[in-house]
Amino acid sequence: MAFIDELVSAIGEEKVLTDPAELYVYGADWSPRTPDEVRPPEVVVLPDTTRDIQRIVNIAYAHGVPVTAGGGLTGMLGGAVPLFGGIYIDTTTMRSIVEVDPKNQTLRVQAGATLQEVNDAVNPYGLWLPHQPESKWVSTVGAAIACDNDSTFGVRYGKILNCLLSAEIVTGTGEVLELGHRKAHFTSSGYKLKDLLAGSEGTLGVITEATLKLEPIPETRMVDMIVFHRMGSAVDFLSRILKAGLCIEAAHINCKHRLKFYTHAYKDKHGKDPDIPSWAEALLAIAFAGDKDIVKEQRDHAIDIAAEFEAELVKEREIVDSWWASKYTLEFEPFKQKWPDSQGTKKFGAADPGVPVGRLEEFYHKFIEVAGKHDLEIIGMNAYLEHPNSIGFSLSCAVFVDYRSADEVKRFRMFHDELSKLALEFDGTMSTFMSDSDQKAPYLELEHGPSLRYMMEIKKLFDPKGIMNPGKKFPREAEGK
Amino acid sequence: MTDLEELKHDLETCFGTSCGFCERGCPVYQTLRIKTISMRGRNRTMLGLLEGKFDITPSVVKAAFECTLCGNCDRWCSLKNTEHTRALREYLLKHGVEPLKEHASLLASIKNYGNPWFQPRSARNKWKKGLDIPKAAPGKQDVLFFAGCTSAVMKPLMASLAASAKLLKRAGTEFAVMGQDEPCCGSTLHRVGQAEAFEKLERDNFDKFKTLGIKKIVTACPGCYTTLKKSAEKLGEDIEVVHIAQEISDLVGKGDLKVRRSTEKMTYHDPCHLGRLGGVFEEPREIMGAVADYVEMPNSGYEARCCGAGAGLQSAFPKLSRELAQKKIDEAKSTGATTLVTCCPFCETQLRSVPGMNVVDLMELLLKATDDVSG
Repeated sequence: MAFIDELVSAIGEEKVLTDPAELYVYGADWSPRTPDEVRPPEVVVLPDTTRDIQRIVNIAYAHGVPVTAGGGLTGMLGGAVPLFGGIYIDTTTMRSIVEVDPKNQTLRVQAGATLQEVNDAVNPYGLWLPHQPESKWVSTVGAAIACDNDSTFGVRYGKILNCLLSAEIVTGTGEVLELGHRKAHFTSSGYKLKDLLAGSEGTLGVITEATLKLEPIPETRMVDMIVFHRMGSAVDFLSRILKAGLCIEAAHINCKHRLKFYTHAYKDKHGKDPDIPSWAEALLAIAFAGDKDIVKEQRDHAIDIAAEFEAELVKEREIVDSWWASKYTLEFEPFKQKWPDSQGTKKFGAADPGVPVGRLEEFYHKFIEVAGKHDLEIIGMNAYLEHPNSIGFSLSCAVFVDYRSADEVKRFRMFHDELSKLALEFDGTMSTFMSDSDQKAPYLELEHGPSLRYMMEIKKLFDPKGIMNPGKKFPREAEGK
Repeated sequence: MTDLEELKHDLETCFGTSCGFCERGCPVYQTLRIKTISMRGRNRTMLGLLEGKFDITPSVVKAAFECTLCGNCDRWCSLKNTEHTRALREYLLKHGVEPLKEHASLLASIKNYGNPWFQPRSARNKWKKGLDIPKAAPGKQDVLFFAGCTSAVMKPLMASLAASAKLLKRAGTEFAVMGQDEPCCGSTLHRVGQAEAFEKLERDNFDKFKTLGIKKIVTACPGCYTTLKKSAEKLGEDIEVVHIAQEISDLVGKGDLKVRRSTEKMTYHDPCHLGRLGGVFEEPREIMGAVADYVEMPNSGYEARCCGAGAGLQSAFPKLSRELAQKKIDEAKSTGATTLVTCCPFCETQLRSVPGMNVVDLMELLLKATDDVSG
């Protein structure tokens, strides 16, 4: 194909992969799909620089070839899986740390660096990037922005957009643009085009570099678990402690089912699931971080307030530690407990709706009902607080999916769609950390109404030929292709 | 021999999971950043092959052999990924792929000379000259010191064998060696996918050990250590296999070997076969702690990164192999240490090929520390 020859000429043969076996590897991510649903691109390119990406997009633009950029390929909804062949840009070859500016607490990095690599680079300065999804060892800066994934520490620091000061992109016409406000934390100038990148799924352009805001690493962290009679009580408690002036670093409300998924290390050691009171419907994992005295005072105060909600502190530290290791440090023995062992026959699949803070309880029961309706085994619900100093949460409504069964994968997708649409009836949103991908594209208008047309116009401005990750967010026909 | 079909369920499990956590510690992936070369990609490639999505292509062969089998991908996963890669190599050779020419050369040498380095069998006698070590004979000894091909025939490594033998003597261990009759353990055959040749060799080897009445094998080569140990277990042979560091560390710990501690800052590189694949982490560190101002590298123990020499990578992919060695040296330098200590002939040769760091064998270092006391 002519465009492949041109790619070879433009960036060099060693950066262009065309062997069918190589292409196959890039045709699936973390999302539930059968092995038959691998969607290989026609060519994979391995750029080193923004200039490389510009050359690639220029060729794609000239030939009208689809371009899908990807990072760690750990997306939960197929955001970086190419739907129409074309060019797959593996951005992970672009991982240089361009600049660490400790005085201004910023970092400039190429978009293919993993979130862990960023933290490895800035740790010697006593700084960290607090955007920390569980996939941080593999998830890249560019992918975290483009898919707007979740973060363990969202309630204090927000998600990646709260850390993103500026980003360089290559648009669908091959133009290099810097969007943002350099090293200033915020701006009141112009339209905030940088914010469009969060959750854009590569549909506007390829993110090539980012300037990120860093935070000082707190001296101490204390993590606890508190059990509640109801999911809603946990939300009320969090609202109450924010009112009290406490600074929460992490807060995750697990339903009673979900706890088991995160405590395999405990089960491995003791041969049983952790004992929690039979009345407990919700388990709140909560962390405070900072100077030792402050942390202790805040933690003690939170526990005092918990008594007002007839909640109970989990005294068995191993339960808490096992959960925290599973969620954050990822350093527990045997690590394998969490992934392939628990997914040897079925894998984790989720819907990611958002609902108003007062309707968690109600939606939880709907989730159980909808999972049952589609005959899916429940993993459970987790509400992650992801908005700084507020009780706004993302929801992970998780089920096991037999990815070897086309029928079960189909039922999972129906479950995902039903919960997404249901969230709108709850005055919520369809997505809080996975974005839309092609899954929600057919019914995205339900969420956005007439404003979807404006989104498409914006898309056309960045990508007039509709070559950037086509089929994501908008059905390809809608893009005029 | 493992048929790829037997692995299908596990390959699907990797496909289903797709976490990619194997990529973080993979020295080859971290250098090349091509997903086909990561374990997640390799598992997916095997699945694609089994499902007939594509035929064996040059990239499949590359994915199979561009790996040091260092085992880091197994660290974070319940799947036996290193075995998957080995099985893929066997599968390819069984399905008409010719051995890589560099590997074919190693194999020819093992067949003709009993070692992978085209050295006559008599070369195995050189390292022990002047050491007065008895040659193993039926019923005459319990302990065999198994030198291993590489150290025995390569001149720069012979001193490490002599050091090991001297330390064993100082410890009062009675042992013998096989000299030019010592066979290759078969590690290379095993790791480049020559399953049938390996299985015959390991059977022959243990028949020889049994004829000699060997009860325990002490070896200075981590590759021989894991290979012989696993062969003994597989064949049900009641012969204990230990690495020299295990045999000697006890004596250091008990104070039976008097050593002088150096003030020089040194760091220790875990050979993959001894550490991650062999489970021996503490004993070399006990020795290090006794003889030097010892500091750990950022990635050590289970997390130690491979030097890049293993599983045929050094011979077939020398540029990549050297890049891995350079990374290791850079990591060692980052500790502020001036000497890098290890105890594997492959790692030593490999790491000495990159300038900038003094690379020392653990047994040579220990011997010197004991000489400093006695003399």
